[in-house]
Amino acid sequence: MLALKLLTTGPMHGWGLSLKLREISHDVFDVNQGSLYPALQKMLRLGWIRAEWRASENNRRARYYAITREGERQLAAEIEDWERTSGAVNRVLRFALQGG
Amino acid sequence: MAWYHEVFSSLGALLGRRRQEREMNEELHFHLEMETRRNVEAGLSVDEARRHALRDFGGVERHKDSVRDERGAGWLYDGWNDIRFAVRSLRRRPGFTTIATITLALGIGATTTLFGVVKQVLLTPLPYGHPESIAVVWSAWKGFDQTWVSYDECEGWKARIPAFADIGLYTDGSVTFDGDSPERVRVGNVHASVFPILGVKPIFGRNFTAEEDRPNGPNVVILGYGLWQRRFGADPAVIGRKVQISGQTATIVGVMPNDFRLPIDFGGSGRSEAWFPLGTDAQQQGAVPGPEFPKTGASHGFYAVARLAPGATAATANTQLRTLVAELEKWGYMANVGFHAYAVPVEEQITGRVRPVLLVVFAAVGFVMLIACANVAGLLLVRGESRRRELAVRVALGAGSRRLTRLLLAESAVLAAAGASLGIGLAAVGVHLVRVTAPAGLPRVAETTLDWGVLAFALVTAVAAALLAGLLPALQATEIAPAGELKEGGRGATSGRARLRWRQSLVATEVALAVVLVVAAGLMIKSVRNLLAIDTGFRPDGVLTMRLSTPSTWYPDSVRVAAFWDELQRRVAALPGVRRVGAARLLPLATEMGDWGLQVEGYAPPPNQGTPGDWQVVTPGYLEAMGLTLREGRSFDARDNMNGPLAMIVNRTFVDRYYPGRPALNGRVRIGDNDSTKIYTIVGVVDDVHHNALVGQVKPQFFVTLGQFAIAPGNTRRSMSLVVKTDGDPAALVAPVRAVIRQIDNRLPISEIRTMRDIVNAAIGGPRFAMQALGLFGLLALVLSAIGIFGIVSQVVASRSHEFGIRAALGATPRELVALSLRTGLRQALTGLAIGIVIALVFTRAMTSMLQGVTPTDPWTFASVVLVTGLVAVAASVGPARRAGKTDPAKVLGSS
Repeated sequence: MLALKLLTTGPMHGWGLSLKLREISHDVFDVNQGSLYPALQKMLRLGWIRAEWRASENNRRARYYAITREGERQLAAEIEDWERTSGAVNRVLRFALQGG
Repeated sequence: MAWYHEVFSSLGALLGRRRQEREMNEELHFHLEMETRRNVEAGLSVDEARRHALRDFGGVERHKDSVRDERGAGWLYDGWNDIRFAVRSLRRRPGFTTIATITLALGIGATTTLFGVVKQVLLTPLPYGHPESIAVVWSAWKGFDQTWVSYDECEGWKARIPAFADIGLYTDGSVTFDGDSPERVRVGNVHASVFPILGVKPIFGRNFTAEEDRPNGPNVVILGYGLWQRRFGADPAVIGRKVQISGQTATIVGVMPNDFRLPIDFGGSGRSEAWFPLGTDAQQQGAVPGPEFPKTGASHGFYAVARLAPGATAATANTQLRTLVAELEKWGYMANVGFHAYAVPVEEQITGRVRPVLLVVFAAVGFVMLIACANVAGLLLVRGESRRRELAVRVALGAGSRRLTRLLLAESAVLAAAGASLGIGLAAVGVHLVRVTAPAGLPRVAETTLDWGVLAFALVTAVAAALLAGLLPALQATEIAPAGELKEGGRGATSGRARLRWRQSLVATEVALAVVLVVAAGLMIKSVRNLLAIDTGFRPDGVLTMRLSTPSTWYPDSVRVAAFWDELQRRVAALPGVRRVGAARLLPLATEMGDWGLQVEGYAPPPNQGTPGDWQVVTPGYLEAMGLTLREGRSFDARDNMNGPLAMIVNRTFVDRYYPGRPALNGRVRIGDNDSTKIYTIVGVVDDVHHNALVGQVKPQFFVTLGQFAIAPGNTRRSMSLVVKTDGDPAALVAPVRAVIRQIDNRLPISEIRTMRDIVNAAIGGPRFAMQALGLFGLLALVLSAIGIFGIVSQVVASRSHEFGIRAALGATPRELVALSLRTGLRQALTGLAIGIVIALVFTRAMTSMLQGVTPTDPWTFASVVLVTGLVAVAASVGPARRAGKTDPAKVLGSS
């Protein structure tokens, strides 16, 4: 979901994405950088993102990913889902803390 | 939904696998490089930076695998891999692969061909609108199970049988389309209601109007599609055009669709290609107008077809007909002859007789398919035996049982696919052969095609074959326990008894199925022999026939017609190889013959019955050319011409019926119920000719010459069949006879060039087709089972060579060893034989209606089948068993 969200700002290559993810989460998600690639492949297969080869900032050939319309729809749905779930969790937590 | 992304991605994964691997490697490489560079910028050494990058990334190969999995074609890719593996391993065993492929191809090819026939004949609806509510109507009385309907009956049924919404009559005939290339064409004369009853409309123009369908109505014609294409260049503007037909001008008012046929056109004696209005009425037919019946019964000469009222069935109609006929009979209509009338659904009328034949043959081909599958399964099992070590190693290396099953199924799938491709090729040949050789007696068979439905069936068959043949070996493989197997294999011991038993049951099954087929084939062969043994009253061998007409345009009177035939016969007789020449109005077993009312001097028919005689018009020479047997008196000769005394020859049934206890020779007969002074004298008696059907009752029949028929009753026969008897091959005479006809008059249309043998074969088309198909399948089944028996005995001998070696060392003679291994093959054969005979006793009962003069449980047939199958089993076992006799104990024991 995060990767999709990041891609809404514009096309990015895998390494760029992994860098951004680390920056944003302040290394909270301490996972292997490699796990990103299967996830990208899955989103490609589902048609949420598309890939093309372009020149990178330092003129290297790199594979750039961009979000598709299908992906945007999916993101919106997931955000909504997340908000509903986290809202519920928050309410439960609040109740738990108050009711202690 | 994004399912199509999945599909494309999966397909892409399959097709562009190399490219994707390259791209993945490049992408990951780029990532690591960038990460390394970042680490260097952060102050690490190059080596250090690279190590960190790799560590943070996690296992590169592991992630690569995950990416591959996410491509979504994992199972497809694995399947592809399995198939490639299967192809490779099959190619290593070309002998096995060839035999298995050919076996499956034969099975699939035969099954597909037969399915094509079944689909065309039984599954494709008739070319009528709502054929399920169309019925044909027949009359019947003593001696005639299915005969024509009279005009009164049609009118009566129309008015008084509520189950008939409408009923129409038609007759068949033939005309000549005149012109530069005159053509004889079969036609139908139809009530204006017939096409609407059949639910068919002309594609151009219109149907006949009621106004046209009356006596002396306007001369109009509706063309058949084929005729319209052939003679009129498929020109839609043909409507309204005037054409010369048999010397008269007719106006074309319509063109019928391509597949249109009258119900009788499916019968096999050709199809009508143009239609005229029936153009008759009750008065002209000597019938009482309206739903009334004359006491004597009028001429029965029409085919009838009815459209059933909504909700009514042929059974409803038959109930109503029974009630009405009982009432009519009490009143006196057609009394004392057991008259009745009945309706048959048109579907049943057309395919009813061929249906049991086809279903039996189709079941038979299914058996062949099962045998083929069993054989391939057997082959795969043997192969499985020799691969147990290989498979055990695979299991030991971590292949799951599902994966093994898949691998083995992939092998049978590849075999089935190869078998199917080859089989479809065979089916194409088969369908072609069926079309070319389709016996005329089998309706619609000649229209069999290899269409998508049939191809789909071939694919289904192939998939079923792959599962049937592959499942058993695959399941066996899942029981492999690597440790035991590798040990067992290491010792070179005999193969497991349980696995051998599987193969033995397969072989027994094959033999059982083969026995059923051979029994069926045997019964059919016997039945066809019985049919051929029936004394038809004529000798069909070496007889060539062709139909010729003498149009009134060029032969205005009977003198000229008679002169033409005299000249033609004289010249044909002079051709080398020709023994006798004659001509007849109708050929036996080719065209049904109707009767003519007679007056036989000294014979008084019972009340309400006439003195009918089937009328045959011939030329002198016909009786000899066709090989009729003269019992009394003389045959026709040159004196029986237009000027000679009127001479008639009659058949034995005629004599038995009309001259009981008195001499028929010199008896006097009038044709027609008039008081004409032209009276025929009986000059000869011939044996009965089975004219209308091979089996069934023969009617009184009389023969008169063409010339004298023109005197009394005074009709000129315009269309006759030339009959040429030769000692050699009748087909070789076609060209010279044609040349002679051209010399005399090159304008005359010639049609229906056939040998009498062809005609007889067509008359027994159904049984012959069944015999040929069952014979072929029975042979195939025997060969396949023989291969199966051969295989099992070979396997037993090979796997017990160790044991045989010991036996030989202990003093067993080669004879004993041979007998020992023979016994293993024969035991399966005997088991199969016993089971097969039980199945056959049940199965052949379905063939009862196809058999002639032989019961479905004919002991002779069963006995010969036991003998034949036993011999085949022995023959198949002997080869490999002899190898057991040659066992050299030193060699076998030494090798372990």
